[in-house]
Amino acid sequence: MKKKVFAIALAAAALSMTTAVQAEENKELVLYTWEGMFPQEVLDGFTEQTGTKVIYSNFDTDETMLEKLAQAKGGDYDLVIADDYIIEQAVEEGLVGEIDKDIVTNFGNINPIYQGQFYDPDDKYTVPYGAGIPLIVYDPEMTDLDIRGYQDLWDPSLEDSVAILANYRVINGITLLSMGKSMNEEDVDTIAAAGEKLLELAPNIRMIQDDNTQNALLNGEASVAFLYTSQVTAALNENPDLKVVYPEEGLGFGIMGAFIPSKAPNAKAANEFLNYILEPDIFAQCMNYIGYINTNQAADAQMNPALVYSGDEINGEYIENISAQADEQQNKNWTEFKAACGAE
Amino acid sequence: MEKRNKWGLLVAPLYAFTLLFVLGPMVYMVLVSFARNNGDGYGFFWRFTTENYTKIADPVYLQCFVQSFKLAFSTTFFVILLGYPFGYFMARLSERGKRRMMFLIMVPFWTSSLLRLYGWIIILQAKGVMNAALMGLGILKKPLKILYSYPAVLIGMIYALLPFMILSVYSSVEKMDWSLTEAARDLGASPFQAFLTVTFKLTLPGLLSGVILTFIPSMGLFFIADILGGNKIVLVGSLIQDQLTRGSNWPFAAALAVILTVLTSLMIFFYRKITHVKDLEEIF
Repeated sequence: MKKKVFAIALAAAALSMTTAVQAEENKELVLYTWEGMFPQEVLDGFTEQTGTKVIYSNFDTDETMLEKLAQAKGGDYDLVIADDYIIEQAVEEGLVGEIDKDIVTNFGNINPIYQGQFYDPDDKYTVPYGAGIPLIVYDPEMTDLDIRGYQDLWDPSLEDSVAILANYRVINGITLLSMGKSMNEEDVDTIAAAGEKLLELAPNIRMIQDDNTQNALLNGEASVAFLYTSQVTAALNENPDLKVVYPEEGLGFGIMGAFIPSKAPNAKAANEFLNYILEPDIFAQCMNYIGYINTNQAADAQMNPALVYSGDEINGEYIENISAQADEQQNKNWTEFKAACGAE
Repeated sequence: MEKRNKWGLLVAPLYAFTLLFVLGPMVYMVLVSFARNNGDGYGFFWRFTTENYTKIADPVYLQCFVQSFKLAFSTTFFVILLGYPFGYFMARLSERGKRRMMFLIMVPFWTSSLLRLYGWIIILQAKGVMNAALMGLGILKKPLKILYSYPAVLIGMIYALLPFMILSVYSSVEKMDWSLTEAARDLGASPFQAFLTVTFKLTLPGLLSGVILTFIPSMGLFFIADILGGNKIVLVGSLIQDQLTRGSNWPFAAALAVILTVLTSLMIFFYRKITHVKDLEEIF
């Protein structure tokens, strides 16, 4: 009899131990995104509030993320933040789980202009975490031109003084926009015409670069620059007198979204984390830190004003996949354009 | 005979290494250059085609080759102009002077070459050291726009490759038998004639290995053109990189690399033919 009691006690103890271990395991949230997407205080704050430790795991490119997530069959990771187009693919492959809006009560804080997008039309899977719009920035001390749109980059007065991004889709895209076409134009002849027009831009180009392009503007090499959002922020932090232009022909948009993988080990913590970051002050802290356009309207008041887009709707489009022929023509445009820039 | 076999065994790892990591990739590259690209995404098909080569004939891509050769030739020219006299006079210094000079040449190599290039940006930029100095001295009124231009790239290339020329010339001048020059002088040659007919000829292997050490890398150092040229000067190297990454057209990249290898080998062949040098200076 005694023996039996002892055995039961032992079994109970063992059972309670395993549940203890399980609870311990559930105290972790595996976050998978690019490096440097959150200030450390924000992550620490979440651990303080909930006792859940955040394990920060990074990837370099969206494609790496998708491959790893596919290998894990939607498991291993609790929360992923990546770019719009790759989320669309992840949803198609069934790797994304729905957000639990009973936990994410702050869902309503999201600015509706960043919702209902192509990668998540019913807002079931994602919380937008910052938007990127390449913008024109210029130094009013170095040019008298009142720049309003892409077309102004072609102005002859800007000879040898424009710095641009080295992304062929973006640069072909703004040329197409300046012609009143779509950034995702499929007609090869139209793209070739854009290539011709791009050649006329060559004499104005001072440099073409993807990293730290804002430096060209700050150190006086260029008077106008076409920059990624985070670079716009960096440039303004350094020199607040610079002017930012939301080009009138339309914008190229990109949204980063947070989603919970379909087999996330700790989906509850992931939902809690989403709710936590959607708090206005936390979200503002994050956006000011990464320097992207704020996607949380409740946080607007606490934002660096340069990172709040004032439009009512997105006057622009996303860069989406185009056909192989269209892509090939864009590549050719780009090589010809660069060669023309280098010709003396 | 037996002895030879023993030695053969010792170099076997090196042979294996070369076969595996040099010849292997080369063969693979040639094979890929005849494969068909998968237009709708990553990868390629093993189906024979020559379209990757015919595509190179497009003026856009030919221009990249012209640009690359132009830059490689002008770099080599200036490196000879600066490096030969430097190496020559360095070899004539006292032992102590030589050691000091060697130390000074080696010191920059302790820093990453990328960092040193960024140093050039600081020197050359509009609000940079050079313009500040020239304007401070009253030589210039407006800053020179030299960064992100061809001269800036050329400066960067010369800077990066000059030590290789200096060292090869130095080592061949250093080894020279000066009694030969003296004999020429005794036989009535002027100092210039003696230099041209004896010294120069004897140091030609050094000069040629310097040329090869300059010319070949200068075909490939596209990151200098990217950083100091603001990405505006498209060399074959950057075109290959573009096609491998952004363009994701591996067969075309491979074809470009094959053509580049062939052209470079031809150049070396001609150099050696013209200069009649059989043995290159052994400096490494």
